[in-house]
Amino acid sequence: MAALTSSRFHIASRTAAAMLGGYAFTWGVIAFATAALFAAGMEFHDAEHLSYILGFLVFLVAFLMAFAASSLVKAWLVLAGGGTALTLGATLLQTQLV
Amino acid sequence: MRDALMLLAALAACTAGMGWFALSLEAHWTQVRGKALPSPALVAGLRWLGGAAMAMALGLCLLVDSASIAVLVWLMALAAAALAIAFTLTWRARMLGVLVFWAERQVPDGSGA
Amino acid sequence: MFQNFRLSMAWLHTWFGLFLGFVLMVVFFFGALSVFDREIDRWAIPATRFEPQPMPSFDKLLRPVFDDMQPLDDARAAMRGQVDGPLPERFETVTRLGAYTTHRDPVLGLFVGYEVPNAKEKDTAIFALRTVDPRDGTALPDDRLKIGSGFFYPLHYSLTFEWKNLGYWIVGFAALMMLVALVTGVIMHRKIFRELFTFRPKKSTQRSMLDMHNLTGVVALPFHFFFAFTGLVIFAGIYFPVTHTQLEALHDKHERVEALETGLPHERAGVAAPLASVDAMVAEAQRRWAAKGMAGDVGFLGVQFPGDANGYVSIYRAGTDRIALTGEGIHFKASTGALLREDPPPTVVARINEFLTGLHLQHFRHWLLRWLYVLGGLSGCACIATGFLFFVEKRKRQHAKQGSAGARVVDALAVTTVTGMVVAALGMLVANRLLPDAMPAGWPWRGDMEKYCFWAVWALAAAHAVWRTAPVAEGRLAPAWREQCLAIAVLGVLAPVLNWVTTGDHLLRTVAEGYWPVAGADLFMLAGAAIALLAARRLQRRAVAPVPVKAAAMEANHA
Repeated sequence: MAALTSSRFHIASRTAAAMLGGYAFTWGVIAFATAALFAAGMEFHDAEHLSYILGFLVFLVAFLMAFAASSLVKAWLVLAGGGTALTLGATLLQTQLV
Repeated sequence: MRDALMLLAALAACTAGMGWFALSLEAHWTQVRGKALPSPALVAGLRWLGGAAMAMALGLCLLVDSASIAVLVWLMALAAAALAIAFTLTWRARMLGVLVFWAERQVPDGSGA
Repeated sequence: MFQNFRLSMAWLHTWFGLFLGFVLMVVFFFGALSVFDREIDRWAIPATRFEPQPMPSFDKLLRPVFDDMQPLDDARAAMRGQVDGPLPERFETVTRLGAYTTHRDPVLGLFVGYEVPNAKEKDTAIFALRTVDPRDGTALPDDRLKIGSGFFYPLHYSLTFEWKNLGYWIVGFAALMMLVALVTGVIMHRKIFRELFTFRPKKSTQRSMLDMHNLTGVVALPFHFFFAFTGLVIFAGIYFPVTHTQLEALHDKHERVEALETGLPHERAGVAAPLASVDAMVAEAQRRWAAKGMAGDVGFLGVQFPGDANGYVSIYRAGTDRIALTGEGIHFKASTGALLREDPPPTVVARINEFLTGLHLQHFRHWLLRWLYVLGGLSGCACIATGFLFFVEKRKRQHAKQGSAGARVVDALAVTTVTGMVVAALGMLVANRLLPDAMPAGWPWRGDMEKYCFWAVWALAAAHAVWRTAPVAEGRLAPAWREQCLAIAVLGVLAPVLNWVTTGDHLLRTVAEGYWPVAGADLFMLAGAAIALLAARRLQRRAVAPVPVKAAAMEANHA
């Protein structure tokens, strides 16, 4: 395979960003979307199912972007950072609703 | 029995449709009809024919089953049809000549019939 | 990491496709077989070779069976770790019991979930399972394995690796990687429309393998994408248990609200009450469906808290005529038979979700669509297998020169997961016909013996694969492929012959009677054997006269 000019460590880090960062980001999207859709009036299980459907598409895109991104640091920041922010947002929403 | 015949017709329509699409591609046209390349008008016409056949197949599927099932039958039938056409082109390409029976077959020295 | 986007996607496709491809072979192959899982059950358990029946009378036939059902030793053993103290001899308090039919199953699956006293976590239940003949209620012996629905199907979605749900996670990640492989494959494929119908078996192995890989991947692309995607959606609760962890408070609040809205009690009352005539409730449910223009059979019948004042009976319509699974649930008060609730029509989101899950789980009655699904699944297998073959073919000469064993390792793994897997499946069916009807005392159950045979045959195939792929390290074709194809050809004929010898149901009889579950299984195996034999002969010709390689040209054509 041509054009691979990176160390083993870099490959491992990209893979971790895609798998773990991607998972964290997807968790955040699912949690936030479930809470937000429910808050907006959607039935709870509908909110949950729609969030799952969107979530897996998000995970797919996040995984691809982790490898396409020119900067590995940016990939980690967006995925892990974004995931954390969305997860916190979901918990905040929950405290308003319960 | 009626349903089985309609589904069979749908499969046939999908196969013909995929066949016309394949023939609209240069490489396959020359496999089936000889050296001369099809005109742009013919290429467009073949694609219209292909699309129409596939649309008719969808209509037939919808007559047999509920919408949710019919759409899936149609998509899977298209996949099966594409495979059938691909294998026909590999091993018995001339058979697809029947789909364009009106077009003259070009003999190798380039002169028309 | 890469010079451009396309190269990064190509790298992803190659390496993640390779590693997860081994898992995906298993998922696609056993998924394809699972389309006809219940028919395979008929083949494996000859006592069940009779016509599918409608749901029988609850009051007269099912009730005595439910009263008699107790959890078996394996369920009890699994529960020991989850209680403080001993398990009772007999479980008494039923949380939920139910029965379900399909239009393909002659036998009925029954379950009873009992409360577990002294359980560490609240709401723990232990399950008693039984399969009965709906014509008279007699039970199937417990040691029979439903090879289709009870083994091939779970193998498909969890690799039967239940410890900490690891098997589910591996399959889930593989499914996500399937989606990645499909998208990256499209990005990499420069002439996707122009080469849509292209297959050139006469060219070099690399070219013909790549052609087949592209063909099977592209023509069934919607199928491959939707199956991987909907598989993930079906088990989403395992992969992202958000509402049982982070958002549990929101979930529990909604459950209480929902219980109030629907009138279906969430907890038992603790007051004893009789169970009214369930047959009358079933008749009423069917009357109501017919009144809505949706006459149908009962797909699922469940009783929550039987014997308690809060008990209710839920009756769902079998979804044989559309994609969505069971539906139109109608709920009755268990003690009186009064109507509690008729499930309202589903919301848009619920309909979308039901369509997605129903498309994958296939409860519909449509034989053409089922066979087209098998075609799709086998195309997926062909796509993955040709991917492996292309990978090895492209690198084996280079690796031979460098003294690397990489290509050989991949080829050995490929033989194991492609032909080896088929050999194991056929071996299991042969064992099913050869094992004695009841294992002698001290031996594992007959069903467990069949599973051991499956894994043992696969392990043997793997060992053979490692041994007989040595020539790959020198850049040549491995004899393992041809040898395992021959094994498939032999076993694929042996299994139907054994079926004839041990049950008398030979093909002439099953086809003449129109008993398609068994005829279909036999014919499928014979067709597979024929294809394997043709492949073996082709491979023999190749071994003697190898196809010329235009390596430089291949490199230029493909990233």
